[in-house]
Amino acid sequence: MDLNTLQNLLLTGILRGGLYALMAVGLALVFGVMNICHFAHGEYYVIGAYAAYFAHVTFGLNPIVAIVIAAILSFIAGAVTEKIFFFPLRRFNKGEWIMNAFLLTAGLSVALQNTFKLVWGVRYRGITQYWDATIEIFPGMAIAADRLVALGIAIAAILALWFFLQKTSTGRAIRAVSQDERGAMLVGIKLDRIYTLTFALGSMFAGLGGASLLSLTPAYPYAGVRPLISSWFVVTIVGLGSVSGAIVGGFLVGVFESLSYYFLGQGWQDVASLGMLIVLLLFKPSGLFGTKVKGVLEK
Amino acid sequence: MLDVTNLQAGYDCLQALWGVSLSVSQGEFVALIGSNGAGKTTTLRAISGLIKPLAGQVTFMGRQIAGISADQIHRLGMSFITEDLNLFEGMTIRDNLLLGAYSQKDKKKIKASLDYVFDLFPLFETRQKQLAGTLSGGERRMLALGRGLMSEPHLLMVDEPSLGLAPQTVKDVFDALQALHRKGITILLVEQNVNTTLHISSKAYVMEKGEIVLQGASAELLENAYLKETYLGAR
Repeated sequence: MDLNTLQNLLLTGILRGGLYALMAVGLALVFGVMNICHFAHGEYYVIGAYAAYFAHVTFGLNPIVAIVIAAILSFIAGAVTEKIFFFPLRRFNKGEWIMNAFLLTAGLSVALQNTFKLVWGVRYRGITQYWDATIEIFPGMAIAADRLVALGIAIAAILALWFFLQKTSTGRAIRAVSQDERGAMLVGIKLDRIYTLTFALGSMFAGLGGASLLSLTPAYPYAGVRPLISSWFVVTIVGLGSVSGAIVGGFLVGVFESLSYYFLGQGWQDVASLGMLIVLLLFKPSGLFGTKVKGVLEK
Repeated sequence: MLDVTNLQAGYDCLQALWGVSLSVSQGEFVALIGSNGAGKTTTLRAISGLIKPLAGQVTFMGRQIAGISADQIHRLGMSFITEDLNLFEGMTIRDNLLLGAYSQKDKKKIKASLDYVFDLFPLFETRQKQLAGTLSGGERRMLALGRGLMSEPHLLMVDEPSLGLAPQTVKDVFDALQALHRKGITILLVEQNVNTTLHISSKAYVMEKGEIVLQGASAELLENAYLKETYLGAR
């Protein structure tokens, strides 16, 4: 393998990893703060994809505006979901929260998929590209502008979240809730608000992914399944509920997949990934960055 | 300031409080003492809103607060330092303190509270970036106290601050509480350490089996025959 091939593989891996990191961060946030094993995360990816499609194609809006609209709509969708489903579940729940919340997300996933099918049919709604341009990174290696912008969006969104969690009072409250709910309550944090905000943010991250990669994967009712599995793969590898781990893990898995695709071929790619997962869980069940301290951003 | 009348509370099907009445006035240092399982912690939990009272009245700063949520009660000016402290262990000392002033939006006031706490516990000023989880037992109590003070509470409720600490550290914690009281902060303290507690508090209630069995000025209770026999080991 020459240097050029390696460069190509790494680049492909990083481009792919951006999406994984974006999706996984949302998943890690929701698990870390709310203790929900979120299996409907992919459906918010689809909401983002549909929103971007209609905004860009039907209403002819600028791609960036369309992606921003998709992010806002998936944020709202997440907030509404939390208020309608998880808020009452929290109220009436007596123990067994993890199981009940997981079952709720599994049901929600099926319900949303079928709602998409009912409203928009099974037709693929995609675009060939947002921007008609390619950018030459290395000699002989040109990348569609869409993919670079998607990576840029993923990195920007993750940096923004990082800043929000570290530097703002609300972000600090989110981290506090993830570490000690009772302590958070005793300093006057309104838990319900933090939960709604967290779920909305997580959904927004999924929606951003769906919207920015619309040219790669079109919007259709089941488009969320694949990204869901990948992001679960990432958070399982790095340790559930760790946002910082999810960022590193996203890129790690992206590069790993692009390498195994090259060396083993497409059919074996999933085998390689799942094999890695099994080996990892055998030797470090808490995940690569898993620790005893609970918290979304803490080591 | 705080008036509790005939408070009943418990967990699931187990009732732990059978009509507790007590009151704390502005500037007082009130102690609630008794042996393990007497219901002291449950009393504080029910007052602070961590558990919902089954019956009875809790009036704080002229408002009826029985049954409203813990975060709301905190915003009315009550800080509750639990026995397991509930610190944010993966976060820095500074973050923990800032979270104590979460409801305060005025940056100047937050800064003033921070200076006030640094003044009380100078070691936190130099170690702001240290993670709370790496502090020693005594330092944790101090940090929890500091966090509780960041909101400038009217009433500070402290649950068993001496639990699991070395005697010298216990003394430090009690000294800190006394210093706070001298600064004009109203304190409701729960303790098993009867002797020391009666020496630093102004008024005390003695609990047994979910009820108040004895109350009075701390200095007088120290001379009380029943208390001497049951808790202070005198014959």
